[in-house]
Amino acid sequence: MKRFAVICKYELILFLRDFFGVFFTLVFPTLMIMIFGGIYGNDPVYPGADAGMMDVSVPAYAVMVIGVTGLMSFPLTLSACKEKKIYKRYDATPVGKRMIMQAQIMVNFIMTLLGIAILLIAGRLLYGVKIAGGAGMVFFSLLLSVAMLFSMGFLFTAVTDDAKVTNALCYVFYFVMLFLSGATIPDMLFSGAVKTVSKCLPMTYAVDLLQGAFAGDGFSAHGVEVTVLALLTVLFAGIGAVCYRKKDWA
Amino acid sequence: MEEAVVEVENLNLAYRSIRAVQDVSFSVREGEILAVIGSNGSGKTSTVECVEGLRKPDSGRIIVFGKDPWKCRREVYKKIGVQLQETEYPSKIKVEELCGLFASFYDRPADWKLLLAQMDLEHKRKRWVSKLSGGEKQRLSVLLSMMGRPKLMVLDELTTGLDPEVRRNMWRSFADIRDSGVSMIMVSHYLDEVEALADRILFLDKGKQQFFGSKQAFRDYAKSRIAREEWKESDSLEELYLKLVPRQQGISMETIL
Repeated sequence: MKRFAVICKYELILFLRDFFGVFFTLVFPTLMIMIFGGIYGNDPVYPGADAGMMDVSVPAYAVMVIGVTGLMSFPLTLSACKEKKIYKRYDATPVGKRMIMQAQIMVNFIMTLLGIAILLIAGRLLYGVKIAGGAGMVFFSLLLSVAMLFSMGFLFTAVTDDAKVTNALCYVFYFVMLFLSGATIPDMLFSGAVKTVSKCLPMTYAVDLLQGAFAGDGFSAHGVEVTVLALLTVLFAGIGAVCYRKKDWA
Repeated sequence: MEEAVVEVENLNLAYRSIRAVQDVSFSVREGEILAVIGSNGSGKTSTVECVEGLRKPDSGRIIVFGKDPWKCRREVYKKIGVQLQETEYPSKIKVEELCGLFASFYDRPADWKLLLAQMDLEHKRKRWVSKLSGGEKQRLSVLLSMMGRPKLMVLDELTTGLDPEVRRNMWRSFADIRDSGVSMIMVSHYLDEVEALADRILFLDKGKQQFFGSKQAFRDYAKSRIAREEWKESDSLEELYLKLVPRQQGISMETIL
């Protein structure tokens, strides 16, 4: 356990030296809330609604944070280590690459939680954003969303050998989902066709689930989202693991 | 010279249709340096990577400290240190951080601050690893291979990229390490290095084992395959080796002018 903590410490140092990852995980979501909060305020989303514009935007921005770590930082780190054969060097030690990968997942997960925590604090202080849902449901929804998006990033690294191809895949999926899942643009503004596309994107289910969890909905109201996210997690992680097993790491 | 710490019997490895290693057998005894020599693509790195448990052989038997390195890699790596032929490290890590990270992998790591001083890298402690020169990176790689106080070191092209002075210092260090009972497998293209350090030689050509035995036996082997008028008693190992292997055709001036 001590060994794992030390490895995590060094992986954290590496994460913090990556400007892109730090900015988009810790700073950008808060900038988003400041910009859009400055435009819309936290007025009710429709007349008589309990939730304000920022109350529903904050959980969507939280998914954006998860997307940055799950589809950018984590897979880009993994693909670089794979391509440069850094994992091979770790494999030539008693810990092996698996523990290094676990530490990389852990650091990205912790930074995700930190990014969301900063977002929540900024939302609370600037616009009085409140979480109506229970801590258990909110945390479960966060965990499931993290699991799905991290598995998706993992799968991208498993099916590609070239880091540039992995990066391109991650960028395309991240930005398409960012704008079409409701994470940045509220889905109530989408036309019928865009709504259909949106329903095909995994991130949409994470946004819907987290928005519901923050609003105080229970599991029963989001059975579809929970099922889709759980199935996709198993599917992405499973295919990724099979692909990795077949790879020649040396 | 005591019991074998590495035993390899009839090792075979293919990459699709290319038979990279064919029926190779050798052993490494305690406190011995085995040099693996041969031209590029002769299967040297593939052979040592099987010994290191980084590649799964197609057939054959490999035992390192009594264990199969492919199946018991973690156990084996408590006793072996490896310097890979090509190694990269995370781009945004400093020398002292990389040493600290590798030290955390072992229960009883070596004093890396002392090793840094011995490798003349002490003044580079705060430098980014990516900014080190080729020779400095090579020395850092060797240092990391010693981090777990290994009983067997596998060094793939140990002194490639090092200047002559550092190479000689490195030779002295490795002779001392060998004398303390540590065994080594050393892949090298430098026959002067092999002459200075190796106890036994494994010579590979196109994946096939051509010779395995002592340095003197290798000299006799080479002489027996070279026409008498071509070799002299005073020939170095390198001179004999060059007479033994087929000559490559050089680039002629007509081609490039």
